[in-house]
Amino acid sequence: MLSNLGFGNLRTFTKNLKIIAMDLELKNINKSFNEFKLFDNFSILFKENIITSIIGPSGCGKTTLLNIICKTCKLNSGNIIGLDRKEISYIFQEPRLLPWKTVKENIQFVIKDLYPKRKQKIIIQKLLQIVELENFGNHYPSQLSGGMCQRVAMARAFSNSSDIILIDEAFKGLDIKLKQNLIRIFKKIWIKYNKTVIFVTHDIDEAIQLSKEIFVLSKPSVNIKHKFQLQDTFSESDYNTVKKEIIELID
Amino acid sequence: MKVSITKNKIYTSISIILMILVWKLASVFLASDFILPSPEDTVLAFVNIILAKKFFVTISYTILRGLIGFSISIILGVVLGIFSGINNSFYSFLKPILITIRSTPVISLILLALIWFNIDSVPIFIAFLTMFPVICTNVTSGIQNTDTNLIEMAHVFKIKKYRILHEIYLPSILPYIFSGASSALGFGWRAVIIGEVLSQPQYGIGTFMQSAQTYLIVKDVIAWTIIAVIISYAFEFGIRKFENFYKKP
Repeated sequence: MLSNLGFGNLRTFTKNLKIIAMDLELKNINKSFNEFKLFDNFSILFKENIITSIIGPSGCGKTTLLNIICKTCKLNSGNIIGLDRKEISYIFQEPRLLPWKTVKENIQFVIKDLYPKRKQKIIIQKLLQIVELENFGNHYPSQLSGGMCQRVAMARAFSNSSDIILIDEAFKGLDIKLKQNLIRIFKKIWIKYNKTVIFVTHDIDEAIQLSKEIFVLSKPSVNIKHKFQLQDTFSESDYNTVKKEIIELID
Repeated sequence: MKVSITKNKIYTSISIILMILVWKLASVFLASDFILPSPEDTVLAFVNIILAKKFFVTISYTILRGLIGFSISIILGVVLGIFSGINNSFYSFLKPILITIRSTPVISLILLALIWFNIDSVPIFIAFLTMFPVICTNVTSGIQNTDTNLIEMAHVFKIKKYRILHEIYLPSILPYIFSGASSALGFGWRAVIIGEVLSQPQYGIGTFMQSAQTYLIVKDVIAWTIIAVIISYAFEFGIRKFENFYKKP
């Protein structure tokens, strides 16, 4: 049947394949640093198109897990399933913007080779609107506040139509008001683009507010202590119960 | 801020006036044009030199030698500096060569250059040897100090290597290139003039300084020195202007 397919059809076929596939699964992964075994036959499954949070004590390999997924950290052994042909974006703890480029140029930096100029312009405009920075496109990062820079980083992460977005404590160190604003904007942008998001955090409130699933990890060698599945809306008492359970698990 | 700038200018002026005053007093005390001419005589000599027919040819030759040496140093310094910044083995290979060049006295280099090269190339060669290591070392440390977080970000977003070099490394090392160029030129002018003094090309500030010294015309030696200082300042000023032009907020 494949031989009957024209080139165009083949492209739609592979694209459809991409659509039906698939959750992201890390299966029996092993990762050691010298003698220290961080992951020993560890497995975890991230469902497609939802926000999944990972919570755990310091040093439980949360960031390493993200680095393994985006392939900046090599595995000793194990499989990653559902990553083929998938593009990955990352929102780091720090905005990591290029100080010599304007806000627009910073977003353009990651999509320059992907789309023609006109499309780049439209994407940037649209994203700046969503992150409420439409009037700051020509500003340099040094002219923006920390929260604004982080919003640019969010826009950048969603600009390249990646399938998976990794977030590493992106709201850490911000005051409560600013954090709530960023979470609101992140939700807004996520609803619009609906991607698979893996969100590493220390902050239980952030995790409950944002995610559909929460994994609580143990200290090394790492395993999943508990997996929470959350409703879209829940009462204050439910919220508090989940929070209490997570606190107990981490302690 | 404005007040402190005016205040600084006052102090600078006082310092210059004081230097001239000490010079004047010393010349009166020594009372010999062969040892130390007065500032007025030197100014007269300065004006005479500037008005002389061959003045522009003379300084043009010196500037040209400096600029040729500088251009070769910038090109090689930036290219090799980038390589040694991103490749540790090349850094280990280049380091001893740079250290050897830097720690060899300029005079030894000139004496060897006088044997190896023709007269006109000696000052250029010396300028290159003094400027190249400074620029190269600066570029290397610029690359080594480039924010690794930005590089990691670029890798995650699958940015092509040449774009990482062009859009992250190059802007990061630009301040290092400018500061390297600025201090290299400081050394470079001195080296060019020393080279000219010893190799005696037909035209050059050093050539005229040497002949003034031979005939004990001290005011001419000082006047040429002042000209050399002005040229050096002018280039440093130019580099700073160029840097400000490239600086982004």
